[in-house]
Amino acid sequence: MNLEYLWQGFAVALTWQNLLIGFVGCFIGTMVGALPAIGPINGIALLLPIAYTMGLPAESTMILLAAIYCGAEYGGRISSILLNVPGDAGAVMTALDGYPMARQGRAGEALALSGLASFVGGILGSIGLALFAPLLSGLAIGFGPAEYFVLMLFAFATLGSMVGGQPAKTLIGCVLGLMLATVGLDATSGAYRFTFNEPELGDGIEFVVLVIGLFSISEALIILEHQGRGMTVIRELGRMTARMSDVVKSIGTTLRSSVLGFVVGVLPGTGASVSSAIAYTTAKRISDTEGTFGKGDVRGLASPEAANNATACGAFVPMLTLGVPGSGTTAVMLGALMLYNIQPGPMLLVERPEIVGGLVASLFVGNLILLALNLPLVQIFARVLTVPNWLLVPGILVLSIVGVYSAHSSVFSIYLMMSIGLVGWLLRKAGFDMAPIILGFVLGRVMEVNLRNALAISGGELSILFSSTICIVLWCMALLVAILPLYLSRRAKRRIAAKNLAIAE
Amino acid sequence: MSEVHHPTSMTVRLIGRVSAICLLVFAIAYGVGGSVIEYSFASDPLGPRVFPAALAVILGLLSVWYWFSPGFAEGFPTGPLLARVLAVPVVMVVAVALFEPAGFAASIFILTLGAAIVFGAPPAKALIGAVGHAALWWFVFSYLLEVYLPAGALFG
Repeated sequence: MNLEYLWQGFAVALTWQNLLIGFVGCFIGTMVGALPAIGPINGIALLLPIAYTMGLPAESTMILLAAIYCGAEYGGRISSILLNVPGDAGAVMTALDGYPMARQGRAGEALALSGLASFVGGILGSIGLALFAPLLSGLAIGFGPAEYFVLMLFAFATLGSMVGGQPAKTLIGCVLGLMLATVGLDATSGAYRFTFNEPELGDGIEFVVLVIGLFSISEALIILEHQGRGMTVIRELGRMTARMSDVVKSIGTTLRSSVLGFVVGVLPGTGASVSSAIAYTTAKRISDTEGTFGKGDVRGLASPEAANNATACGAFVPMLTLGVPGSGTTAVMLGALMLYNIQPGPMLLVERPEIVGGLVASLFVGNLILLALNLPLVQIFARVLTVPNWLLVPGILVLSIVGVYSAHSSVFSIYLMMSIGLVGWLLRKAGFDMAPIILGFVLGRVMEVNLRNALAISGGELSILFSSTICIVLWCMALLVAILPLYLSRRAKRRIAAKNLAIAE
Repeated sequence: MSEVHHPTSMTVRLIGRVSAICLLVFAIAYGVGGSVIEYSFASDPLGPRVFPAALAVILGLLSVWYWFSPGFAEGFPTGPLLARVLAVPVVMVVAVALFEPAGFAASIFILTLGAAIVFGAPPAKALIGAVGHAALWWFVFSYLLEVYLPAGALFG
């Protein structure tokens, strides 16, 4: 296996500028993750335009964004444990055993142990990424336009069947994203589509405008609604190191959950929320012989934390090798690469090894930085939870406006971002997730171009979409991931109904 | 303080049906808009109209599915909380309208002052916070990161 790209990557990641950028990203990411409801996407969305405007090279921007992503996965556990409110979606399951531990006066131990589990998950995930990226890249080099089009359908099918239990809404989100991507100049025919004769829409809706509107502005409104819900921070942290007996007890669960998390992360369209739930329920099924899960069991704490950090690394595999994001956050990072006119895909590793290698190497370095930051400085991060919303949210609004203006120097873009934010808020209130919209938007143009190229090759024959073995395998996989969860859910419902009937009789 | 409703299943159904109708109308409008795209040539069999038309049909079908399977929804705020939520975009519009003429620092001051009050800060704290925000972000963007932002009439 050729790992030369990785050594090139370490040379990039270990320059003092990139080490500093990685450190800043880890610090900001942990803070962003610790704040309830503000996840990695918000942190990345707010800092991306500023990094772009500052003229950072593509590899440094990716290192910064990856550090924020991983930092947020570490930081998410802090509010889960101390506040019983997840810092991000991947830390929902962490609260189940972390908060009971904190209430037993073992908050410091829970923070230390979950920090170690996060580190193990992050490092194993990085190793998996380093090994799998060249393998998958090698396989995907044979992909043509038809294969890419079917691959993207597979990504949407995965997303529709696995995220949130509301497939209709998830697929609607994907289609809305695809529709937004059609706005602007059609490069193939030179036609302007859905621009309403507005020159500023000629290049389409800018990625930064969409992502900041959907995530940051709608988030600010959601925070306003949810503030004052009587959250109490646990301030007594107790002993700040993990007990050796707890480490030994949870090591098997941590390793297993890391592998599970990585595999789930590799699947296109799934994220940390799915992986941590699978890891927790698996750990509970295997290890919970005494019924201690949910009451402060260290294995229940370690499993979701190891899984969500491994997922963050696994999600980079399809993004870097196929150009298909593994999660909402990597969809935003894919958009970031496109800002630099870099098209992720199998050729990225060949053409720009310093970007892929730099990112992978920075994950190894970043996890070491995060461990060093999170064990001794966790009390400082915990203080972030006490910053009042009236001071914090205006700062988010400032960064949103400045981010959009600095990238596009246009007040129209700010108004567009605000309008998108309001629509995003309405959609969120109606129960829609924002990640599928971003995924649809990021993949939209590439998907249409590949479909049109494939049909141009075949002279308009749709059979080209079923002509190769890769296409057929991808169609089968898409059907499988679309149908299997429906079948399993119906079978589970039938079983529950049969059990209830037996009890009633 | 929080006045968000936890919706009943009937409310969720209502939200679902209203949203499904809105999406269906949007799908029709998008489809109609896509069908009148003007172009002089196309180098591929599909052209610029077919992909949008397909998306419109798919969204229409998904809206029907959504009508029958609304899933879950959060409640919408009502009363004073709704007024406060709507006040945020109003404050932002005022701040953005002043962004170029009055300058970045003045606009940020107004935005952060208004937003802090909407978020429940006492006026004195909101004022101190706004001055702090304006000074901090002005220093960070203008000096530290050297991002171009309009100075406006006050600082220009």
